[in-house]
Amino acid sequence: MIRTTAVPRPVRVGAALVGVAGMMALAGCAGTTDAQAEPAATTGSGSSDSGSSTAAAYKDGTYTADGTYRTPETTEQIEVTITLADDKITAVEVTGDPQAPQSEQYQGRFIGGISDEVVGKDIDEIDVSRVAGSSLTSGGFNDAVEKIKSEAKA
Amino acid sequence: MPALAREAWTFDAIGTTWSVEARDGFTEAARADVAAAIDGFDRAWSRFRGDSTVAALASGGDAPAPPDAEAMLSLYARLDDATDGAVNPLVGEALARLGYDAAYTLAPSSPRSAPRRWRELLTWHAGRLRLHEPATIDVGALGKGRLVDRVLEVLARHGVTDVVVDASGDMAVRGRTERVGLEHPYRPGAAIGIVEVTDAALCASAVTRRAWGDGLHHVLDARSGTPVRAYAATWAIAPTAMVADALATALFFDGGPALAADVGVEWVRMRTDGAVEWSPGSKAELFT
Repeated sequence: MIRTTAVPRPVRVGAALVGVAGMMALAGCAGTTDAQAEPAATTGSGSSDSGSSTAAAYKDGTYTADGTYRTPETTEQIEVTITLADDKITAVEVTGDPQAPQSEQYQGRFIGGISDEVVGKDIDEIDVSRVAGSSLTSGGFNDAVEKIKSEAKA
Repeated sequence: MPALAREAWTFDAIGTTWSVEARDGFTEAARADVAAAIDGFDRAWSRFRGDSTVAALASGGDAPAPPDAEAMLSLYARLDDATDGAVNPLVGEALARLGYDAAYTLAPSSPRSAPRRWRELLTWHAGRLRLHEPATIDVGALGKGRLVDRVLEVLARHGVTDVVVDASGDMAVRGRTERVGLEHPYRPGAAIGIVEVTDAALCASAVTRRAWGDGLHHVLDARSGTPVRAYAATWAIAPTAMVADALATALFFDGGPALAADVGVEWVRMRTDGAVEWSPGSKAELFT
């Protein structure tokens, strides 16, 4: 099993926490604390002992939880490891256990993040010059779909 | 809104809508050459017209290799390796079995997998493209991206270098930056995020497009001949649209992320349960 650690950007930290918490809940088990917490290399916050932040709600450290979530076809299992420092996530590692054995080595390796909390915003409200994925297909395909729909109704 | 291009040229080709915008507009000669490039590609690769090269080869045989054969089919070989056979250029018959055929009957019959040993059946060398058994070539995994690249090349020859070619989900940007919304696959008119694209291509694929019934859409697993279920939408950014298009397809399968890492492609994808994943180094801004 190959693993890599992806460090989320600050804007995503909150979402990552929600996502991880959601998966923990799905798995029905609490996270297990890994005593040997490794500070993430990229935090750049310098060394700090956990006693310094008295207001912290969570103890600094690295936590791991197994998660399960269902897709229409399979039940996927993942292992999520998060590193907390001063109540902020400084690193997230997701390791997968995909069903296809050939891909076992890959799934956790390159996934940079996972969030259940991505939402949609109205395209008119965001400052973009174009949209990708929108592009309703044109031509014969849509004509055929419409034709079949109307025939199905009749 | 940022200032949009000064001239937008919109047309329908290969079954979808194209929008080409250039700061300085287009000469008539440039438009004619773009149209000719698209027509040539369609005549070679369309399985929706009876006079195409792939239609002629469907019963087996050989033909002069179209100019894009080497580039596209060798990339298919990489996709095949990376996805353990899920992506296969002989998937045309499997698509037709589900109703996505040249006549758009959209009436599904039992699924059929694509020939696993396609690399023995479909060969390309010495300027000839040969099918050793009857089969239907479908280059949908990357063909539209390739054509976007070809259109860019034609425009560059005409000195059009500040341009966006947007072929409905597959786009390439040269000489400028575009802020692109990533459209929510289940909520048309909404976006799940924004990504900036500069001198690169962004290709998107969603199972909610080209869908014609309960669970029926155009992204098939060639191994089973059935539509994919785990992922709903993918986006990939690469230097060329062909590679971005290919990776957008691969990202519906295990092995897609590994290939993306190998070729340095940035991506975002959404599972059918709504969870979103992205590549390490992704610069997309996702809404949370």
